[in-house]
Amino acid sequence: MRVFQMNGEARRAGVRDGMTAAQAAAAAPGLQIFRATEADAEAGAAALADVGYAFAPRVERDGDRIYFAVDDLGRLYQHETAIAQAVQAQAARIGFGARVAIASSRGAARVAARAHELAVVPADRGAARAFLASLPIALLTDDDELRAAFRRWGTRTAGAVAALPAQAVALRLGTAGAAVARLARAEDDEPFLPQPPPDALEEAVELEYPIAELDPLSFVLRGLVDRALERLASRSLACAELTLRLSLDPRGLDVRTIPIAAPTREAKPLIELARLDLARRPPGSPVVGLHVIALPARVRATQLDILRPSGPAPNRLAVTLARLAALVGPENVGAPTPVDSWREEAIAVKEYAPSPAAGDAAPPSQTELPLSLRRRRPPEEIEVLMGRDGPTALRGVETTARVLIAAGPYHLSGEWWQDAASGGSWAREYWDVHASDGAVYRLHRDARDGRFYLDGYYD
Amino acid sequence: MSSARALELVGDPEIAARIVPLTRLSEKRGHRPTGLAALDALLGGGWPRGALSELCGARSSGRTAIIRAALVAALAAGEATALIDAGGRLDARAIPSGRTSAAPLWIRCTADQTLKAADLVIAAGGFGLVAVDLCDQTGRIPDAAWMRLRHAARAQGTTVLVSAARARLGSFAAAAIELTGTAAFLSDGPPLFSGLDVQARCRRVGHEADPPPDQSRPPCVSLAFTCRS
Repeated sequence: MRVFQMNGEARRAGVRDGMTAAQAAAAAPGLQIFRATEADAEAGAAALADVGYAFAPRVERDGDRIYFAVDDLGRLYQHETAIAQAVQAQAARIGFGARVAIASSRGAARVAARAHELAVVPADRGAARAFLASLPIALLTDDDELRAAFRRWGTRTAGAVAALPAQAVALRLGTAGAAVARLARAEDDEPFLPQPPPDALEEAVELEYPIAELDPLSFVLRGLVDRALERLASRSLACAELTLRLSLDPRGLDVRTIPIAAPTREAKPLIELARLDLARRPPGSPVVGLHVIALPARVRATQLDILRPSGPAPNRLAVTLARLAALVGPENVGAPTPVDSWREEAIAVKEYAPSPAAGDAAPPSQTELPLSLRRRRPPEEIEVLMGRDGPTALRGVETTARVLIAAGPYHLSGEWWQDAASGGSWAREYWDVHASDGAVYRLHRDARDGRFYLDGYYD
Repeated sequence: MSSARALELVGDPEIAARIVPLTRLSEKRGHRPTGLAALDALLGGGWPRGALSELCGARSSGRTAIIRAALVAALAAGEATALIDAGGRLDARAIPSGRTSAAPLWIRCTADQTLKAADLVIAAGGFGLVAVDLCDQTGRIPDAAWMRLRHAARAQGTTVLVSAARARLGSFAAAAIELTGTAAFLSDGPPLFSGLDVQARCRRVGHEADPPPDQSRPPCVSLAFTCRS
């Protein structure tokens, strides 16, 4: 276990990146060590950046700090203190106790934030210099050599450094010393290098022990999804697609994308969909790490019609379809659609999409309706007693009856152009028979093998 | 809002009588067209909304055709519909469609999965009509399952139409129709199946809270279904 992040106090006590826990504890007695992974640190830094993206389109990430421009927020907030308080509240909402400072330069903002929980540095250079003057030198730079050099010169505060001649400081301490002196005079020119928000938002956790069961995995997933949604909500966005990257034990990755019907900020349907997907296709090995990638999207506003039915809510429908697929199999849920085939029994299932809200007027009531077949899939092989005019009796698993009237045969054949692998050609003799049990059955004799099959009954 | 308050607000007694309080708009009541004029007359307007209805009859009694007609009517009105099909016996030629792009949600399942699937679909909300085709299933279905479905249908305002070979719902059905079919063959020359003549008899009709059924309503009606194959 090695140190990869520390606060200022620990740094001043001598703790450095890459130290082992034992070395760090020896360097700073009384040091509190927290166990965290790289994934935790990255997720935390990304979440902090999202605080900035809630206020500005572009944010600069710099370790555990973020910088963003607040010029345009004047229309929304009465004064700069209100902006700083809003930023602090936003950070608190996702669990960070953030220090916030507003200044006209990047460096002045950094120094002010290190000195105060909440600070607004005056825009005027003279006033800003006065604001910084009382702050200790340790806040201006983390470079121990520079601090020691300034201490040797008897300078303790930023004001004292600001009073030093700039040329002399640059001559003795180089560009780094000159930059500190400029910062003390509120004349720093550190460039602001913001980046646009990432395309996807990531949350990750590395587990201390492998998880093989679905319930504990769902529990871990819930925390990640909650955090991701909280971050998306802070940017007024919703989740349009969820990707799970599972690190498997001892090695390997399981990556799965969970499609979502409509962008959502609700955790419950997302977790339910992920859970159903994991239940349908369990990971091959126990999971030791979980990475959630949420694709952000704007929430679509839908104008409902007061006079027409709204239909199922997209998110609830997606969850319901996933549950139904888990219950009866995905191939058995969808919208029925005819197939371009001469085979009577052919039918396909396509993805279900509810009809658009606008509906026609109800069709006029009819007095006669077409009859359809209640079809057996696949056709059931039956025994048929043939007479001179056609079938006279039939016997199957659910049907044993005399034939009262037989209409047919109707010869149908087709698909002679298909090869055997695709089902090949077929030729059938169809009969509509009125049986003694009152039903009208449709049956056929396969011309290739002479066997009879029950297609179903008219209903 | 009381009728006196409505009258005070609009001044016209005729308009005041037509004012419906917003709170009552959430009562998803009324009837939906069956798609067949004669059946609408038999049921006093159509299948009851927010309730279970039952359609029972032997093989070739026209149950599938009546379900199809109800689905077509609901789809044409722009409503989401579902067909829970025990055994997956839907014929491609019977696929209901209200417009070119509209189709019901079709769930092919086994007899044991039927009510569970129906429960999931109704609970999703937004479905105007859910048809549950039990086909020829004869196994016992516990009352608790029907009670649960009835509660869900009432909460969501969904019409649940259950089709079975014999009466299954008992007092859980707000409307129950019994069908008897007779095959019709053209006998001029070689026999040719032409369709079914169906007698529909009403065994139960209306919501529990509805007024007693109109005595002038016909006890049974005749329906004709033609074979187009």
